[in-house]
Amino acid sequence: MKFRVAALCLVLAALPAQATERWKFDTRLAVTGDPVSGVYPHLDGAGRKHIAVASQSVATTWEDNRSGTPQVYVARKTNDQDRFSAAMQVSDGGEAYEPAIASLPQNRFVLAWEQDGAIHARILSDSGLGTSAKLSSAASSHVSLASFGAQIFASWREQQDRLWFVKVAALSVTAAGKLGVESITSAEAIGLETQVLFPSIAVNDAGLCVAWEDRRAGHTRLLVSSSSDQAQSFGEPQHLNEFLSNRNQYDQGNGVTRVSLASFAQDEILAAWMDKRRGGLGYGIFAALGSDGGAIFGPNEKVHGEAGDKQPHYNPAVAGNSNGDFVVAWDDFRRGDSDIWLSAYNDDEEWSQDFSPAIASGAGEQSHPAVALDDQGRLHLLWMERGDMNAPGRLWYSRAMPR
Amino acid sequence: MLPMPKISITRLCSVLLCLLTLSSGAVLAAPPEGYKFLSLTAASEQASAANKPMLLYFGRYGCSTCRKMHAEVFSDAALNKQYNSEFVLAYVDTESGNRIRLANGETTTEMQFASRSRILGTPTFIFFSPEQKPLFKKAGFQSIEQMNHYGDFVAQGHYRTMSLQDYLASL
Repeated sequence: MKFRVAALCLVLAALPAQATERWKFDTRLAVTGDPVSGVYPHLDGAGRKHIAVASQSVATTWEDNRSGTPQVYVARKTNDQDRFSAAMQVSDGGEAYEPAIASLPQNRFVLAWEQDGAIHARILSDSGLGTSAKLSSAASSHVSLASFGAQIFASWREQQDRLWFVKVAALSVTAAGKLGVESITSAEAIGLETQVLFPSIAVNDAGLCVAWEDRRAGHTRLLVSSSSDQAQSFGEPQHLNEFLSNRNQYDQGNGVTRVSLASFAQDEILAAWMDKRRGGLGYGIFAALGSDGGAIFGPNEKVHGEAGDKQPHYNPAVAGNSNGDFVVAWDDFRRGDSDIWLSAYNDDEEWSQDFSPAIASGAGEQSHPAVALDDQGRLHLLWMERGDMNAPGRLWYSRAMPR
Repeated sequence: MLPMPKISITRLCSVLLCLLTLSSGAVLAAPPEGYKFLSLTAASEQASAANKPMLLYFGRYGCSTCRKMHAEVFSDAALNKQYNSEFVLAYVDTESGNRIRLANGETTTEMQFASRSRILGTPTFIFFSPEQKPLFKKAGFQSIEQMNHYGDFVAQGHYRTMSLQDYLASL
């Protein structure tokens, strides 16, 4: 009997170790300085695209109020540097929020953000920030970015004459290094009287897709629409989340919110979101894998493990690479304070046990992750840390090597 | 007062007491019709100015239990009169991106505010005293009778001398 108990303990002890051995994290690096009284950084952009990896560098973007008003900033480092650059202010208006970033060839990045109710974008290169371009023509917010080689796509929500649209722009970089707008298309031609929220976009060799929160049905559903002609036209929106609730005459479906998309392999898409199908337990993290550039999605899959089944989870972020690796990150407070958690497919193509990197857990509130995977399989993690939920915050970064 | 998790009341106090202004014109997602629900900031300011208790309703667009309460509870004429006259009413959409500006200078969204407040389900109701002190929280479906009792407990000042649990037992 004693032998069986000891053996069981050994098995249980080994389980979390198997999960945490997927990546080995380096020492964390400060993206922003020590917390400053009254300064609050945020990583709340659509699709949580706050970190991107180019051939020789990594860049992060966020919003904070260090100047007295909310503005958008970027910091970068080359692969061999052990510290980030000083923060560079990206926005130049009255107030700016919810930025996104994507990588480009030649060690460049593209940034987009909401500024005074419009969407703006600009290029970041080794020589600094390029000229800012305004992308939207009416009240707009919730911008997300994706790139594939030199192709750039931005999605956002726009309200024209009280009607809501999901807009998708195809962007390019001119020979002079300036940002050009090739086209702007609505995912659906007809505007909605009900809100659309937080569209997220992903692109790969097969095409691009955009997913968003849609309220036309009288409750929130996640819709996804794909394009195979570089955002010139979009297919009929499809439902992304499954509807499990049908308890009574008032029930049309459970809550879903904050979808995040990433491309992986050659033509596949990972979508993850917060999903309230568990009822009073709060949001779970659910996902679906898409193929053919997001034209088709498979069934919904629960990402978090049993240990998180009775806890709420927040702020899912996703990343993938061309080798077929992908990961979901989120935060939850199953251990009291909030920590960062990760999950990826194991060898059986099932979601691994949840694991929380030591550098992004422990005392204080570690939350709001953003992730990127480079083609070497290295995981780049950005997150926010606060002493408590109302304390000034700071941003941390760590790179993890695959085991 | 019914027992509440320590962490919840602490968080609610710390978050709500520092709330000052809403920066954007919030679009109220789906509060019940016929009630004077305001954005949280407008309600906080109005409650402070008028020295009235406040009811904060955390809802969600399409929430089935919220719809059930709207149809079967908030539709009650006496309840409507009680809450519209005796309370300042605030509504927060727990999935919205509407921005909230806090007194400490931080700007966040209603969704992030709800997650910080650890609101797990909707509807969730938090009752505040005229001094804007959070008194108690109720989550899930509440009957007309329960809402009447909660309203009386707060608006008639019984919370000053007894717990909600004791008040309900005395009825």
